[in-house]
Amino acid sequence: MDTKNLNKNLKRLAEISEWFNGRKDVNLEEDLKIVKEASILIKESREQLKEVENSFEEIKKEIESEKEVK
Amino acid sequence: MKIDTENILSVSDYLDLVNGKLEELSAKIIGEVGKVTLDAKGHAYFSMRDEKDNSVMSCIMWASKYRMFGIKLEEGMKIIAYGKPNMYKPSGRFSFVTETLEPAGEGELKKKYEELKAKLAKEGLFDESEKRPIPDYVQKIGIITSKQGAVLSDFLSNIGGHGFNIKMIDSRVEGAEAVADLLACINTFKKQDIEVLVIMRGGGSFESLQAFNNELLVREVAGFPVPVIAAIGHDKDVPLISLAADLGVSTPSIVTVALNDSWNKAELHLERFTKGIVSGFESVLNNQKFLINNAINIFTVGFSAVIRSIGQKLDSTEQLVQANNPERQLKRGYSISYIGDKVIRSIKEVKAGDKMNISVSDGIINSQVK
Repeated sequence: MDTKNLNKNLKRLAEISEWFNGRKDVNLEEDLKIVKEASILIKESREQLKEVENSFEEIKKEIESEKEVK
Repeated sequence: MKIDTENILSVSDYLDLVNGKLEELSAKIIGEVGKVTLDAKGHAYFSMRDEKDNSVMSCIMWASKYRMFGIKLEEGMKIIAYGKPNMYKPSGRFSFVTETLEPAGEGELKKKYEELKAKLAKEGLFDESEKRPIPDYVQKIGIITSKQGAVLSDFLSNIGGHGFNIKMIDSRVEGAEAVADLLACINTFKKQDIEVLVIMRGGGSFESLQAFNNELLVREVAGFPVPVIAAIGHDKDVPLISLAADLGVSTPSIVTVALNDSWNKAELHLERFTKGIVSGFESVLNNQKFLINNAINIFTVGFSAVIRSIGQKLDSTEQLVQANNPERQLKRGYSISYIGDKVIRSIKEVKAGDKMNISVSDGIINSQVK
């Protein structure tokens, strides 16, 4: 499973949410499989989001320091 | 020189010898004018009489000089004449050849001054409407003054460093002799490339300034091709040259104020323009900075919101997934029963003998309905 693309992860998680909200029958194996997939996607997505957030904070700091110099 | 009395001279040679000696007897003589005759060419023949003993001397003034001094000789007038004696060879007549002429005594001078002033004023030579403005940003200046006096150094120490090109002609500025010098200087400057002519002299008595009341000189100033500034120091009576000039002032430093004025204003304007350009550009820069900072704020706030929103979505998705995690339910003691692939939700869905699989947290229980 490719989990490196945050956008794709989020799209897949949105599909999973819709699926959970819309389904009628419980399928233990299927549910478990999807829960595990979702857990992996959520964990990966959180890590990627954290990386994005850190990069963004760095950029913000650079911008702020340039503003102070000027 | 001693004359050799043994040597016999002709009349002509002797008169040449005499005239050579008389050349050395230049003098300034005061006396009363006797009979005056002007010939067809304008040469003036007159006599001068001594007030005390009635001694009389024949005088002649050539037309060019007579016109230059602009004094109309009249019988009884008291004058001061400068010149040298001469024996006129064709007639053997002694004459005093007059070079310069001026009325003697302040009363006479004043009378002549007032008469000439009234005459020239009537002609419009002093009219304000005829005055030409001193041009802005003058660079080429002609100066007539005496290099002996303090006037020139006063002028030069006050004139600004505006790239002036100054030409100066030295002239006598006192006494009747000064007239010829001043006229010659004016004629020289007429042929020069100048934008303004400045005639200067320091202060002096009314008598000492007589050259500047000369009619011919006044007319030359009024008709000079470029504006003329006269800076003649005086007490009560303004020299007529100052009245005829386009600008009449009393000191050289006032002349420099007039000549520096447009340059100083231009420098002030340049300074203002420079400040205006700098502050204008600073304003543009500040405006751009504001726009950039605004864009940065929009971007940072917006992107922070995106990150926050994604985090919230992940949280809510996790909650949903956990809520639907079957393992979690099974661990709490719940179980799920299937017949085949179908989840059993009601007893109506089963009958006795059905084989039913029951999923619990750690495995599947195979059972049969009774």
